[in-house]
Amino acid sequence: MSEGRRPVLDDVVAIVMAGGQGERLYPLTRDRGKPAVPFGGIYRVIDFTLSNCLNSGLRRIHVLTQYKSGSLERHVRIGWGPIFHHELDEWIQCVPPQLRVEQRWYQGTADAVYQNVYLLDQDRPRLVLVLSGDHVYKMDYAKMIEAHETSGALATVAAIEVPVGEASAFGVIAVDEQSRITAFQEKPKSPAPIPGRPETALVNMGVYVFETQALVRALSADAKRETRHDFGHDILPSLVDSGRLHAYPFHDLNNKARPYWRDIGTLDSYFEASMDLVAVEPEFNLYDRGWPIRTMARPLPPAKTVFAQEEPGGRLGIVLDSIVSPGVIVSGGRVERSILGPEVRVNSYAKVTESVLMDGVDIGRHAKVHRAIVDKGVRIPQSFVVGENEEDDRKRFTVTPGGVVVIPRGTLLD
Amino acid sequence: MAKILVIEDEKNLRLLYKQDLERDGYVVVTAADAPEGVRLVEIEHPDLVVMDIRLPGMDGLEAMGRVLDRHPRLPVVLNSAYSSYQDSFMSWAADAYVVKSADTDELRSRVRDLLDARAAG
Repeated sequence: MSEGRRPVLDDVVAIVMAGGQGERLYPLTRDRGKPAVPFGGIYRVIDFTLSNCLNSGLRRIHVLTQYKSGSLERHVRIGWGPIFHHELDEWIQCVPPQLRVEQRWYQGTADAVYQNVYLLDQDRPRLVLVLSGDHVYKMDYAKMIEAHETSGALATVAAIEVPVGEASAFGVIAVDEQSRITAFQEKPKSPAPIPGRPETALVNMGVYVFETQALVRALSADAKRETRHDFGHDILPSLVDSGRLHAYPFHDLNNKARPYWRDIGTLDSYFEASMDLVAVEPEFNLYDRGWPIRTMARPLPPAKTVFAQEEPGGRLGIVLDSIVSPGVIVSGGRVERSILGPEVRVNSYAKVTESVLMDGVDIGRHAKVHRAIVDKGVRIPQSFVVGENEEDDRKRFTVTPGGVVVIPRGTLLD
Repeated sequence: MAKILVIEDEKNLRLLYKQDLERDGYVVVTAADAPEGVRLVEIEHPDLVVMDIRLPGMDGLEAMGRVLDRHPRLPVVLNSAYSSYQDSFMSWAADAYVVKSADTDELRSRVRDLLDARAAG
């Protein structure tokens, strides 16, 4: 038996919550949900969670979608479906809302799972791993599941250690000396520290292992109460009194000084996380062969630069400190500290700096693009300038508090 | 006075439950199949529903899901001749599960407990 097929994992079904609208990422989320937002050139945000599943040996995954899920559904079906083998009882499938009676969105993360409890009834797993499709991190879920089994808990919550001063922005978990969870604090003014470590608090990562029966019982009870129907707010707190709710410390596999776990929730945090990827020593390492991040493979030609006229005024295709995806052609233009998605084209004398260009973006001759996120397929016309005059940019585009210009899909410029 | 909706396809049982629950002081309305039961919930606004699971027209668990979708806090007692439905996660949405027996003692006692709890809560 190969290492990736450990018996305990045969009893686990993963449920990935991928219905997030990502309002604060608008306009990147105008035509797609947050998990489908492109990140790092060739990836979508959900690829990081799905890669964690695959690398952890989990092969049974429901992806719960709802908001503008066409692009996500296609990505999962084409990009991930073929590597799961139905004959071996492996699968990954997107599950849209069933809309039994009321034509309404899920009322919360717990409602999303509860509305799909029939799936658990069919699968009958012993354990359910609940994940968010919105986060970027590397984690071996198998280790967490092992710890859950050893502790005898009804549910286990993954928690990342954060300095107390920074924990107020998150859901904080209070624990006792045995890592039993004693309380949940939502964006607390004074976060509970870890016992014996007054400088450090535990933050809820939205990664949960449940005994299936305990989960269904808690969801069924919650459905009858007037709550927010949210895992962090309602379901997990309802299990605190059982004394069988444990925290599991996040072991980062990214091998950097600080553990990396990001909720890429805003345009500015998206931009910062993207710029981190092009740093010489990025906080998040995409190049670790021990924990590969995979995505939908596309049969594209290799990236290419053309024109090497290094004399003044010559055409020079050059790319520095950047991520360059397949199919890109930098033809006589200059690119620095940027992420170029698949099939981007940068034409002669154009200059792109500190920007994220998604699939198929075309930068016209002599155009300048600085500190911008340009969504799929946008054509920047010849001599057009983005990111040099904030007032001008504001008239036409979204400009973030951090001063990043966002040009959505379908924008026509002249 | 609390109103109970009984969804039961067997005519004799329907009459028995109606008679016994009325004797306990409740107003009882009945439906002989699931679609009729789901419809009556909207019209009669019962305080509690007693329902069979094997029903004509629609599975009782499905019908309960539809009712609870609109009225999540309405107490539901599943009343089945079979105990095996208790394994179904969908049945866990019910407030009580009663296996049919020769008398209505257990059913009536669960109904009373739930309505008392509802009145108190």
